[in-house]
Parts: sequence; C-alpha cells; structure tokens
Amino acid sequence: MSGPATRRKPIAPRRVDLGVRVGPLTLRNPVLTASGTFGYGDEYAHVVDLSTIGGVVTKTVTVMPRPGNAPARVAETPAGMLNSIGLENVGLERFRDEKLPRLRELEATVIASVGGETPEELETLLSALGREPGVAAFELNFSCPNVAAGGARYWTDLSRLERTIALLKPLTDKPLIAKLSPDVTDIRETARACERGGADALTAVNTFVGLAIDIDSLESKLGRGTGGLSGPAIKPLALARCWEAASAVRIPVLGSGGIASGRDALEFMAAGATAVQVGTATFLEPEACTRVLDEMRAWLAASGMARVSELIGAFHAQHAQECEPDAAMDGREPQGREPRGREQRGREQRGREQRGREQRGRAR
Amino acid sequence: MSVLERASRSAPRRTGRTAGTSRTVRTWRQVAARVRDQRRYGGGFLWLELELPAGFTAPAAGQFVQLLLDFPSPVLLPRPMSVASVRKLAGRLVLGFLYGPVGAGTRALAELQPGATVHVTGPLGRAYPLSEQGTPVLVAGGRGVAPLLFAAETLARSRRRCEFLLGARTSRLLLGLAEARARLARSGSRLHVATDDGSRGFRGDVVRLLHHIAPTLAAPIVVHACGPHGMLAAVARWALASGVRAHLAMESVMACGTGVCRGCPLPRSAEARERVLAEGAGAAALRGNPEWAMCCTDGPVFEARELDWERVE
Repeated sequence: MSGPATRRKPIAPRRVDLGVRVGPLTLRNPVLTASGTFGYGDEYAHVVDLSTIGGVVTKTVTVMPRPGNAPARVAETPAGMLNSIGLENVGLERFRDEKLPRLRELEATVIASVGGETPEELETLLSALGREPGVAAFELNFSCPNVAAGGARYWTDLSRLERTIALLKPLTDKPLIAKLSPDVTDIRETARACERGGADALTAVNTFVGLAIDIDSLESKLGRGTGGLSGPAIKPLALARCWEAASAVRIPVLGSGGIASGRDALEFMAAGATAVQVGTATFLEPEACTRVLDEMRAWLAASGMARVSELIGAFHAQHAQECEPDAAMDGREPQGREPRGREQRGREQRGREQRGREQRGRAR
Repeated sequence: MSVLERASRSAPRRTGRTAGTSRTVRTWRQVAARVRDQRRYGGGFLWLELELPAGFTAPAAGQFVQLLLDFPSPVLLPRPMSVASVRKLAGRLVLGFLYGPVGAGTRALAELQPGATVHVTGPLGRAYPLSEQGTPVLVAGGRGVAPLLFAAETLARSRRRCEFLLGARTSRLLLGLAEARARLARSGSRLHVATDDGSRGFRGDVVRLLHHIAPTLAAPIVVHACGPHGMLAAVARWALASGVRAHLAMESVMACGTGVCRGCPLPRSAEARERVLAEGAGAAALRGNPEWAMCCTDGPVFEARELDWERVE
C-alpha cells in the first residue's frame, strides 16, 4: 500500500498507535460496528474478538420490544441495499438483563444505541441504562428512516433535538453520541443543534431514504414503501455529509456510510471523523471490521504515521473553507467557524479531555 | 405510571441477571471455497460443487449457506442457497448445490469455472429434524428438491426407509429424478412422481399426490417438504387438517443470513405468537419476536404450526 503525500519512512504495523478519543471516551482503535448490523454483539463473538475492535454499537433498543415492519424488509440495489426493518428489537428489559451482561463478558466497548418516539421515551431509556455498568457511551438514534413515529423526520425539528439532548445529558455521565440523518437540507445545522444541546459526539450518517419499484407489479420492493439505503453506493454521499458535519462543530464525529475497506475508513478520518463505523460490509463479510482495521494499520505503517489521530481532519484542515455555506446560495454568513488546523484540533481535544475529567469527577 | 413500569409489570425482572438465558452455540464461519465442478443439470438448472477448507462444520439437510462472489461481483449481497449434498473427498468437505441462474447473482455464479473462489458462510439455520419419530415422507416441488436430495442421502446412510414425492409442472422440470432414485434404492425407499400436466407419473400437483398416498402409509408419518411457498402452504394446511407433523423449508430475500439484520421475517401463527409471549424474556436469544420469525435463524425449516400460512407471501 502506498503512503500519503507526506512520504515518511515506513514503520512496523505494530508500532502504529490506533487509539482515539471520542470526547471523554478513549477507544482502543477507531473501527466500530454500526448499529443494526452487528446485532447485540454476541451473534458475531465467535468470529470477531470484540475486545480487539474499537467498539460495538448495538442494535437500537426502545423502551418496549418492537416486532419490526412487515416484509419485504430488504432489497438489493446497485452497489447497495435498502432496508426497512423498523427498529425490531428486544426492548429495554431484555437488553439490560440479557444482552448487556453477555457483552460485559466479551469485554466489548459497548455503545448502546437507543431510540424513542418521544423525548420522554429516550428519557426513560437513559434513566434505566445511564448508570448501567458495561456501557461506555450512548448513541441516540435520531435518524431511523423506517418508523412511523420518532424517526428521522421527527428529529429534523432542531429545537426539539437540542432540548432533548439537554434533557438526557444529566441522566448519565457517559458520552452521548447523536446519530444524524443525511436527509436534511443542511447537516451542519443539525450538527450544531446537537452540539448546543450538549452532545459529546455525532455519528454521520445514517442511511439515505431510497425507493425501489418492481416495475412488473408497480409495487415497492419493500413492504413499507421507502427504506434506508446503505452500502458502497452511499460512500461518497456519506463522506460529504460527514465532512460538512465535522466542519460545523467542535465535538468529535464518527463517520459512517458505505465503509468497506481501510482506505474508506481513512477517507472519513481525513475528512474529520475521529472514528468510523462499519455496517453493511458486515453482511457480506462477518469479519469486515477486523479487516478494515488491519488495512488501516497497514496503510498507516506504510505511510510512516505512528498515530492514527494525526490523520484526523488532515483533508479537512486543507479544504475547510470549501465546505462553508455559499453566501449566494443561502444568503447567510458562516457561523464564525475558523478553518481548523491539526494543532488547533489538538488544543480542543485536550480541552475536551479536561472537561471530561471534570464531569466525571462531578459525577462521583 | 411510566412506560417502563408498565413493561416491568408485564415481564417481571428476574433476580438472577443471566438466569434463563440459553446460550446459542454458533458454529458458522466464513471461508474461501474453490469451485470443484459446475455442470448443466437439465431444465435450465446447474449443479455446483464447492470444495471447502478444513474447519467448516458439515451442514445438515435443510441448512443453508451464504455464497458471496469474489470481488468484483455484479451484486453486493451474498446469496442464500440450500445445500443439496455433502460428501468428503480426501478429508475435505465438498458441498453440492442445485440452482437456476435467474438473477444477476446466480447468473454470475453460473459463469464460474473450476478453480474459482466463492466465499461461503455457514452452515446456517435449522435443519430438518430427520430423527423425529415416524416414517419420513419427503415432498419436493421443482427446485425445492435440493435439500430433500440431501435429506434422502442422510436417511439412506442411516438405513432408514422413506417415501419421496417429487412434483413439477411438467416432466422436463422433474429435477433430481435420477439422483433421488439412486439415493432411495439403497434403503428400499419409494419414489413417487407427479406432474401438473400428467406428462409423467401422477397427474396433478404433489400435494394432491401426498393426500392420495398418505392413507396407504403406516402411521405416524412426518413430512419434510421444500418448494414454492404456495405449495408449502398447501402441504402445511393438509398436515394441520390431517394431524400430521410437517417441516417446511422456506426461503426469503436475506442480507446477513445470521440473524443480525432482521431482514427476513415470516409471519408467526397465533399459536406460535402466544408461545413466544409466554416464554417472554427466557426465550433463546433473538427468538423473542412474537410477530415475526426470522427465516435465517428461526428457520429456514419450520413446523407447519409455527407460521401463519394465510400471510406467507
């Protein structure tokens, strides 16, 4: 694998430091599983050593169990797939009593994904799980495209989004990661609303709303009409949204959308992501996250990069201005965000670490 | 009362946190297999043989694997395919598959020459319970013959007699006739053929043939069937009306095949729904959805009482 423009001397892969910090949370490496593609972790534990990957983002859990949508729930499309699962899950009780103890045994860094039809449901979930041992962070699913209530469209109300995160923040001392829908006019606005609400990090992005029609029957290939598009087809789209989101906020961003290789993952990190999530690729290759990690390490070693964190925002630092709103398009001034270099990000990171320590101190 | 309190009342929280959690033992894995042989099978179908590396658990009849083409592939997702034969060759597993090149994925699979690589994930799903008490009656419709050839082979190896019913629209589409006959000869089992147009054997569909033959067999009988869902629904209705146990191998579009994506739901019967609700939190991992069973992990083989045949598509 060839190295980047820096052309430093290659180093041994084992010397590459893959550790990253997502707000107050330290991850052993930046490769996580994406919610909904890795079950509750246990299902793949015999083929993937969960203690070696950055983290497991579990299937979104809701207060009550959900049966999910009527079939068909998946349809393949060119270089991608549509899904309309409808948040099928075992519910809060079984998640806490059966799934979490198993994940603790497996020594996984668990990021519990939670979803609610109302702010109050999320409050119930965080009240029940917020102090549960073995949960490293929470991902707030504000972006499911396949449910009638509490889905991506419901959370496009930015004041609701901001208020809800603020409501949840005191319920846990664990980081809150808001997962964003790409189907908005300006994802930077969504990202900023989450940051104002007190989110510790963002995930960008969930699936894109898509449709496939069986032209013979004139019916959707999915039981519920539209679905969420994922896979390699969305990678460039997701990368652009991730870059935009990372440009708009100071909190870390987890990149997600079509990542299937080490190079894909590194592109997201260069665009400003602190870590990445591997999703649909796992359906093809159960050990995809392990391979992505191995490829990432090999590339960094070949490039002589001793720390993966050096790459975070490397593209972003050079091109941040290109991402600022086009005044001719929306007639507003950018919201005072200076393009950030790596040094500045490093300062911010240290500041965040300090704040994180303070918060944890208060919690005790 | 909060939503959570309501949830707590309906499903009391157990004191022992892991009590009742039955741990599913998973043996599937993904390996790179080699195409050993690929040949025409008649009726536009193909027979594919894959040689697997060591460490792959031998599938049982009714189980399936996910076949993923090597990069670059014209399709993204792997294709679930039921196993038609398993044999050992110089210590290596050789799996046989019977399939029709009907879509982009299977057409690309049909292009593969011996030596090509196919990634195989498996064995997946639940097999036919062939050891269940009673005379096994294997009922195959069209390409649904694939797992039943394997079932016949398994029964022949343990020297058990069975009745094999093979149906198709017309004689040209009676796939696996010679193979079925060869497997059955070893155990003194009988082959019965039905064609819709009467071009061979019994005139009519295989479910009517089953209805015709069943009374002549020593009770109890156990039906193991595979074919189009319409045929399987008819077998299931007949079995439920006749008080016969029937195990039906279903199919579905799938993404993962391993139970995580929840993409292949089949409607549970009212009886199964009640049972799942009664089992509550103590049910095996991921079997707890009262509305939908997953084809990949709860099936693909279902007993007739498990599904709502009026809603099976």
